[in-house]
Amino acid sequence: MDRRRFLRSLLSGATTAVIGATALRSFPALAGDPVRFADGLRDAPWLAGWRSVTSETLGPATVQVEGRLPAGFGGTLYRNGPAWTERNGFRYEHWFDGDGMVHGWRFNGDGTLTHHARMVATPKFTREQKAGRFLYMSAGTTVPDMQPVRNNDDANTANTSVTMINGRLFALCEAGSAFELDPDQLSTIGPVTWRPDLATVPFSAHPLVDRDGSVWNFGSIALMGGAGIMIWHIGADGALRSASVLDTPIFGYQHAFAMTDRHLVFVLLPFDYGDTGGTFFERMRFAPQRACRIAVVPKDAPDTAQWFEADFAAIYHFGDAYERNGEIVLRAVRHDDIDRAHSVMREAVAGDAAHAVNSPSTVLQLRLDLRSGGARWEDTGFGGIEFPLFDARTAGDRGARLYAPTKEGGATAPYFNAVASFDLERGRRRAWRYGQDVLAEEHVFVPRPGSRDADDGWVVGTLLDAKTQRSGIAVLDARRIEDGPLAQAWLPYTVPLGFHGCFAQRA
Amino acid sequence: MHRTALIAAALSAVMLASAAHAAELRVTLHDVRVQTGHINVALVDGSAGWDGKAAPVQARQLAPSGDTAQVVFEDLPAGDYAVMVTHDENGNGQFDSNVLGMPVEGYGFSNNPNVMRKPTFDEARFALPAAGAAIDVTLR
Repeated sequence: MDRRRFLRSLLSGATTAVIGATALRSFPALAGDPVRFADGLRDAPWLAGWRSVTSETLGPATVQVEGRLPAGFGGTLYRNGPAWTERNGFRYEHWFDGDGMVHGWRFNGDGTLTHHARMVATPKFTREQKAGRFLYMSAGTTVPDMQPVRNNDDANTANTSVTMINGRLFALCEAGSAFELDPDQLSTIGPVTWRPDLATVPFSAHPLVDRDGSVWNFGSIALMGGAGIMIWHIGADGALRSASVLDTPIFGYQHAFAMTDRHLVFVLLPFDYGDTGGTFFERMRFAPQRACRIAVVPKDAPDTAQWFEADFAAIYHFGDAYERNGEIVLRAVRHDDIDRAHSVMREAVAGDAAHAVNSPSTVLQLRLDLRSGGARWEDTGFGGIEFPLFDARTAGDRGARLYAPTKEGGATAPYFNAVASFDLERGRRRAWRYGQDVLAEEHVFVPRPGSRDADDGWVVGTLLDAKTQRSGIAVLDARRIEDGPLAQAWLPYTVPLGFHGCFAQRA
Repeated sequence: MHRTALIAAALSAVMLASAAHAAELRVTLHDVRVQTGHINVALVDGSAGWDGKAAPVQARQLAPSGDTAQVVFEDLPAGDYAVMVTHDENGNGQFDSNVLGMPVEGYGFSNNPNVMRKPTFDEARFALPAAGAAIDVTLR
C-alpha cells in the first residue's frame, strides 16, 4: 500500500469541500404517521394514489383492453414514481421521498394489456428492506437514527422517471446515477457509470432526445453542495459522447431543462440553503426576491453559455423550446405558490384529505432575445397543469402543442381529472374529462408509425379511479383529445401515482 | 537456582514493562461491501496524522474476507487515537473519488461520525487505556 497516497487522497480538499456542504446530521424526527394516513384513506379513497406499496412487485395482471386500439399502436408504457413510503411505523412526509417503483404497461397486441411493476433495487432500498426500517437521507424527510452514506448514490431512490436509450431502460432521479433495468423483467442491473471518473455524478430525471437520436441531460452539482451543471451527451448507441461542466454564477436549483435545435436552456432557480441540518428540502428555501439566471448553451460548446436574467419563477417542468429570428421561446409550468411548490401535495402525502390542495400553476413562455440579452416571462393565459409533454418532431422554429393532465369540472380529489392539448400560439385548449373520481397522470405522446407530421399520433396516460379502486391506462388521438379515449384498460388494483414515463413502441 | 531466579526476575520486569506500554487495539470492521481489493486501516494519534501531515502510528492492509474483518494494533502507548479505513475495492492502489471529489469506494472512521464529509480528528478520536480496547468501525 502507498500509505501516503491513501492518506492524501482521502484528505484531499476537494472531498472535504464537496461533501461537506451536504452535511448530514441527526435532526429531530418529524415522523409522518402511517395510522393517520390509513384513517384518511378510509374517508377519502382517492388517497390510494399516495398509499405505500408493501411488496417488491405488483402483478402481473393481464386485462382486456376496452374500446379499440388504433392500427399501428403497440408497445409498453414504462412509468416511475415514489412507491415505498412507510417502514416500521414511520411515513415519509414529502412526495419525492418514496423509493422508486417502475411499471410496465404492455399492450400485448391481442386485445389485452399486461401490467407489472417492480421496486428499483437501489443500495438504499435493498439495505432498508433488510433492516426493516428507513436508514438513509431522503429528499424531504429526516428519518430517525439516520445512517451515514458513502456518497449520493447510497441515498438514490431512482424514483422520478424512466428513459430508454438503444433498447436499454433506465430509472432516473435527479440526485444520482441512472439505474439500468431489464426492460422485460424490470429487475435492476445496477447504477450506470458512463465513465469511471463520472461515477455517481447526477444524471437528471429529464433527459431530452435530439433529432439524431442522441440524448442530452444534465446533473445538478448544486445538489452535491457545489455550483455548476454537468452536461451529458449520450449517443443514440448509448455510449457517452461528452460530459462537460458549465460553471454557474449562482447556487441554483433546476429539475429539468428545455432544448432547441441549436441550444440547451437551463433556468436556475435561486435558493438559500439553511445550516439547520436535515434533508435537502428541509434546508432549501426558494429565494423569490432574487432573479432566475438562465443559461443558453450551444450544443457544440456545452461548457459555455450566454446568460440571461428574469424574474423568479418556481418551475419543475418545461415544455418545448423553439428558436426564431434571434429569439428563443420556451414554455414552462410555474408553480404559483412557492410553499406548495416546495412540498407538492403534502397534505395528501400525510393523509389529510380535507386540507389537500393541488399546487396552482400557470403556463408561461420565456422569451430570450439572443442579440440584446433581454429576457421576459409571458403569461399564456393557461394554467392548472403539470407534467407537460409534446411531439419532439415539431419544427424547430415554432411552438409545439403541449399535452398535459389538467382539471376540468368538479373532482373528488384535488388533483388532475382530465387531459388536454394546448396550442399556445392559437390560444386553443382541447380537453377530455375522465370524470369526477378519476385522477389523471402524465400523458406521453406516441407518434403514429410511418407518420412525419407533428402531432400525428396518440397520447397514452395512466389513471386512478378512486371510486372503483382501479388504476388504468387510456389511449387518445392526439389531434382529437376532446373525443376521449380510443381504448382504455383497468387493473384489478390501484398503484401509487407516479411522475414520468416513456413509451417503447413495438417495432 | 540463583540463575533461574534472575531470569524470572528479568522476565517479570519485561512483562511489567509490556503491560505498562503495550496496549492492544482491536478494530472490528463491519459492512465490507465487496470482497475485492484491499482494506487499508490507518491509526493516527493526532491532527497531524489525521490531516496527512505526519505518518500514521501504524497501518495495516488486509484482503477482505466476508462482510466483517478484524485488525489488531499492538504495542501502543495509552492515549488518544483515531482510525481511518479505506477500501481500495478495485485494487488500483488509490482511494477513488469521482470528478466532484465524491468517494466511490468504501470508507469508515472510528466513532462512526454521522457526517457527510471527512470527520475532524476530534470527531473520530477515542481514548485507548493501558488495558487496551476494542472498537467497531462500520464502512460506508
